[in-house]
Amino acid sequence: MPNLRISGLKVGYGRATVLEDLDLSVSPGELVTVLGANGAGKTTLLNGIMGLAPPRAGSILLENEELVGLRPEQLVARGVVLVPERRELFGNLTVEVNLRLGGYRTDASSKSLDRIYSLFPILAERRKQKAATLSGGEQQMLAVGRALMAGPRLLMLDEPSIGLAPLIVQEILRVIGQLKADGLTIILVEQNARLALSVADRGYVLEVGKIVLEGPSTSLSTDPRLSQAYLGGAADYAAARDQVYVD
Amino acid sequence: MIDTLLFLLVDGITNGAVYGLVALSLIVIYTVTRVVNIAQGEYVTLGALSFASALSGYFSPFSWLVAGGLAAFAVLDVADRRLSNSARIRMLLIRSIWIAGVLATAFAANKFPGSYWFAVLAALAATASLGALTYRLTVEPVSGASPIVLLIVSVGVYMVFHGAAVLIWGAEPQSVPPVVDGGVSLGPVFITYQSLWICCFAVLAMAGLYTFSERTLIGQALQATAVNRVGAQLCGIPVRVAGQLSFSIGAGFSALSGLLLAPLITANYDMGFPIGLKGFVAAALGGIVEYPTALVGVALVGLTESFSAFQISAFRDVIVFLMVIPILLWRNAVRPPEAHEH
Repeated sequence: MPNLRISGLKVGYGRATVLEDLDLSVSPGELVTVLGANGAGKTTLLNGIMGLAPPRAGSILLENEELVGLRPEQLVARGVVLVPERRELFGNLTVEVNLRLGGYRTDASSKSLDRIYSLFPILAERRKQKAATLSGGEQQMLAVGRALMAGPRLLMLDEPSIGLAPLIVQEILRVIGQLKADGLTIILVEQNARLALSVADRGYVLEVGKIVLEGPSTSLSTDPRLSQAYLGGAADYAAARDQVYVD
Repeated sequence: MIDTLLFLLVDGITNGAVYGLVALSLIVIYTVTRVVNIAQGEYVTLGALSFASALSGYFSPFSWLVAGGLAAFAVLDVADRRLSNSARIRMLLIRSIWIAGVLATAFAANKFPGSYWFAVLAALAATASLGALTYRLTVEPVSGASPIVLLIVSVGVYMVFHGAAVLIWGAEPQSVPPVVDGGVSLGPVFITYQSLWICCFAVLAMAGLYTFSERTLIGQALQATAVNRVGAQLCGIPVRVAGQLSFSIGAGFSALSGLLLAPLITANYDMGFPIGLKGFVAAALGGIVEYPTALVGVALVGLTESFSAFQISAFRDVIVFLMVIPILLWRNAVRPPEAHEH
């Protein structure tokens, strides 16, 4: 029985439809990655689940409860939590207040604060600093920490590696691995396919609003169609290999 | 000469305290909801008039209207099929307490005519609730609209409130007794107790608002909604409730300034609009977002007004409103408007 089952999902903005008739499912405790080039509709998918871009058709069931039609705050109360690509932190508030606000729905105790600080020790050092003064990597950690404060059942991460130094990316990945080991259900959206497949159980590949490929990480990472999806089927296979597979 | 100067100074500071409450209202509302609230001055009027009638023991239909509106929206909100049952019960409970509070304060003021504090509570409860209702009725349905649409909506609200105030209380000004008669002589200047009262109350209210927004999670959630609406939604902060709360706070603060001011100028249906605009001039100095700069603006507006009233009294309002032009020019030069993200 999948924890999350999306069927026939249609999401768009204004007159444009970005996703149409999309099916996707995630089992409890599974880490699923959604891959695809820029503009494939990855962020739109997450915004659709989160109610930021309300779905126009289809259904999203989380443990048999329909999520379509709920407002973001109602989704957070049900344990559906998103770490957005742009992080959306409260720049003029301190690190600690940002974290506490993450637990707005759960009356977060100082115990959950301590847990975040032990996951990201650097945040404990910066607790009195304003979020806007943090480095990019620290801001990403804060965004993940803030999401965890909500006590998620389903955690969605939108390109957590974007624009970060390799060392920081490793740090974030380490935490994602740890959360998975703790049994959290995770959807990881990434452009960096090699990175995502190294931690994910399963993956989907999106291309202009449609799922063109899915399967376990091990078989996806050797599938030549993956790199084609990134280039929209265009030539220069070698360049794609460099981008996706390079070590 | 020095006497006149001191007198004008005291007068200006008293006015400034009143405008300060209105300027803070405008900022609370604008930062959280992006509404430049033209109708802000009407809460000043409604606060003063409902205070005047509560104090005289007249049970105005205003409290009934507000309670009725709250009840209607409670029914609509509780009927929302997406709510879980426990959330529905909690919401019903909160709304019932709320409505009971508005009516209870009104009845208490009616039962004890002349009691200052019951009248204050009744006026604040009804007017602050009207703020939340106004948000629910006029802003929520167009949420996501551009600031100019929200501004025009608030012009409509102003017209309705203005007319409603005449309908309920009539066009006759109502005199309101000061909290304590008399005053104190400070050297050559005579300061009325009401002026001192206004300044003390305004400072206390501002300190209260500051403590609320810095020290409580709900206050921080309001700040968060003001800084980053999407981020607030992702934290599970209900931005609609935040909007209602900011309108309540704004309406309550303006009502407070109205009922404090009423003994000095008599309460009438027309008193609020210029006060709202002067609060706006002061808030504009801080771009309607910065509280400390707005307080500087408030002092500037208050003092300019009292000095120009002394020099060329026919032009006092003209001069204060003219200030908005240099203020906006200065603001533009110091802090050019950024392109909005959303």
